[in-house]
Amino acid sequence: TTHAQAGLPLPVLPEGWAGEKDFKAVAHLSPATQRTIEPVGPHFLAHARRARHKRTFSEDDR
Amino acid sequence: MAAEGASAGGPAPDERHAIGISFGNSNSSIAVTMADDKVEVIANEDGDRQIPSILSYVDGEEYNGQQARQQLIRNSKNTVACFRDFLGQDFKSIDPTHCHASAHPQAHNDTVAFTIKDKAGDEESTVTISEIATRQFRRLKQSASHFTGKDVNSAVITIPTNFSEKQNEALTKAAKDAGIETLQLIREPVAALLAYDARPETKVSDKNVVVADLGGTRSDVAVIASRGGMYTILATAHDYEFAGVHLDKVLQDHFAKEFIKWNSIDPRENARSLAKLKLESEATKKALSIGTNANFSVESLAEGIDFTSTINRLRYETIARKVLDGFNRLVEGVVKKAGLDVLDIDEVILSGGTSHTPKIASNFGSIFPETTKIFAPSTSATAINPSELQVRGAALQASLIQEYESEDIEQSTHPAVTTVKHLTNAIGVLAISDDSHKGIFTPIVSAETAVPARRSIHIPVPKEGGDVLIKIVEGGSHIKVTKPESAPTTNGKKESDDSEDSDEDSDEEPEEQREKVWKVGNVLAEAAVKGTKKGGQVEVMINVAVDLAVTVTAREVGEKGGVRGNLSAP
Ligand SMILES: Nc1ncnc2c1ncn2[C@@H]1O[C@H](COP(=O)(O)OP(=O)(O)OP(=O)(O)O)[C@@H](O)[C@H]1O
Ligand SMILES: [Mg+2]
Repeated sequence: TTHAQAGLPLPVLPEGWAGEKDFKAVAHLSPATQRTIEPVGPHFLAHARRARHKRTFSEDDR
Repeated sequence: MAAEGASAGGPAPDERHAIGISFGNSNSSIAVTMADDKVEVIANEDGDRQIPSILSYVDGEEYNGQQARQQLIRNSKNTVACFRDFLGQDFKSIDPTHCHASAHPQAHNDTVAFTIKDKAGDEESTVTISEIATRQFRRLKQSASHFTGKDVNSAVITIPTNFSEKQNEALTKAAKDAGIETLQLIREPVAALLAYDARPETKVSDKNVVVADLGGTRSDVAVIASRGGMYTILATAHDYEFAGVHLDKVLQDHFAKEFIKWNSIDPRENARSLAKLKLESEATKKALSIGTNANFSVESLAEGIDFTSTINRLRYETIARKVLDGFNRLVEGVVKKAGLDVLDIDEVILSGGTSHTPKIASNFGSIFPETTKIFAPSTSATAINPSELQVRGAALQASLIQEYESEDIEQSTHPAVTTVKHLTNAIGVLAISDDSHKGIFTPIVSAETAVPARRSIHIPVPKEGGDVLIKIVEGGSHIKVTKPESAPTTNGKKESDDSEDSDEDSDEEPEEQREKVWKVGNVLAEAAVKGTKKGGQVEVMINVAVDLAVTVTAREVGEKGGVRGNLSAP
């Protein structure tokens, strides 16, 4: 998979920060909108294949 | 609603010879994807790649394309033009405006028909719109089969974004009756975008695209969220008052008035003279897209008088201003309708024949910021011919799906697969800038991305390395407007050095600056990546599942381990 490149750096970890296995869940994602994707192009076909076979991205990568 | 699936009973996948078809009210085109994945737009027997969607009958013989178009002068009653939009409609719902100078549509049961002499002799027949469209498809099939040397029997066909289910069905039936199985109907602006995205130099990215399809009798604009190569239409607009024929009309009136001045005869009052005036005005208009001067020349324009004149581009752009401004308003309106700002638009694709007009592209260039790419022949040397975009996209889609069973195509285009959740906000990570300790939103997944989705970013650690905080947040963008305090006389904003222009400009208010800024929203999660090296980078990956559960992973680039955490579905 491709990735974007950011310019500005990450902040330093504040003193005393703690999280279970270094991770802290804070909130759920905001509600989403239902929309229709156009069934066109190679990337849609890959999406449809995953959806029909109930596969995830990483299963698809293999 | 998205697209019509394949009709049952078509040829089996291994017997298919599929092409792409774009079928407009003004022109049709056909294209095929060759073995090397290159698309070839096919010329018909007359050598035309833009084939006028016109049929004409003389002594029982059928003419199509340019040859039929020439018949508009002498044989307009038996010439059927501008009919695509009538498919699947009843007479009350159609707009027959553009058929004044050709066979008139009439009510026929619950559909539309034309009364024409299409056989040898004087007998008239009533030919339904469905049959007319079938005849047009037969001609296209014939030209494509001739080119490929195979019996072309299936196609991906482009449709406007506002075609109804009934229109889709009528189109599919008309094609079927001509021996063409419809593999899929795809929307015109999406086909145009696919044609650009299929270029090897295009990188898959997240971008907002405006497709302005400016045709002969209608202009259609769409705003498309393109996310990882998947397309979602956010808004559309349709206009029937500002299109190619309205630019023709400007030139018709211009030259008619000039003719009146010399001859005191109005060529618009005689049907045959008007037809000649129209055809030549369109030719002059097209010439003005390439040259800065164009001729207008008609033999025996009216009452046996020949007429020759010229016009330059600047004059044309001045008299056509009202129509040209109409295109601007249409585009600005649909961006707003999508809930976006011009600063949110990354690309503008000019599609349709009228998009060859240089002034339209330069007007769009001034509506959008400099960072927006405008794809038009006059602004980009690598632009694809706007008249070929839709058919190229259709041919690409045809080659992608022609080996699938019809049921598979139907299943994949089913709403169960195409209707999905789209993110309301962007998801990103906070970074810091040198001069402030406030977090700066760095987007990873854009708003309007369909789920499931996976995106990642590489982000540097502080100079010294060490333990870093990964703060995952939602973000929204808004437009910040800054008014300059005073009015400096040297206003560097204006690009053009045109002296006439800058005289006017000096009186104007200094322009306000508009910029897109991120607003940090909900914090979703925090994570720590410890002991990073000096000059290192962290890869942050966000995976959003169908149910909106989120998986965050972060690790130093090139290192093992890292952290991984989950946010359950809301
Ligand atoms: N080089 C050019 N410069 C300016 N206008 C052009 C040029 N080439 C074609 N056109 C115009 O483009 C229009 C046809 O566009 P297009 O082929 O996209 O139409 P269409 O989609 O079939 O039509 P419709 O909008 O009626 O459904 C005509 O008005 C034609 O004069
Ligand atoms: Mg069109």
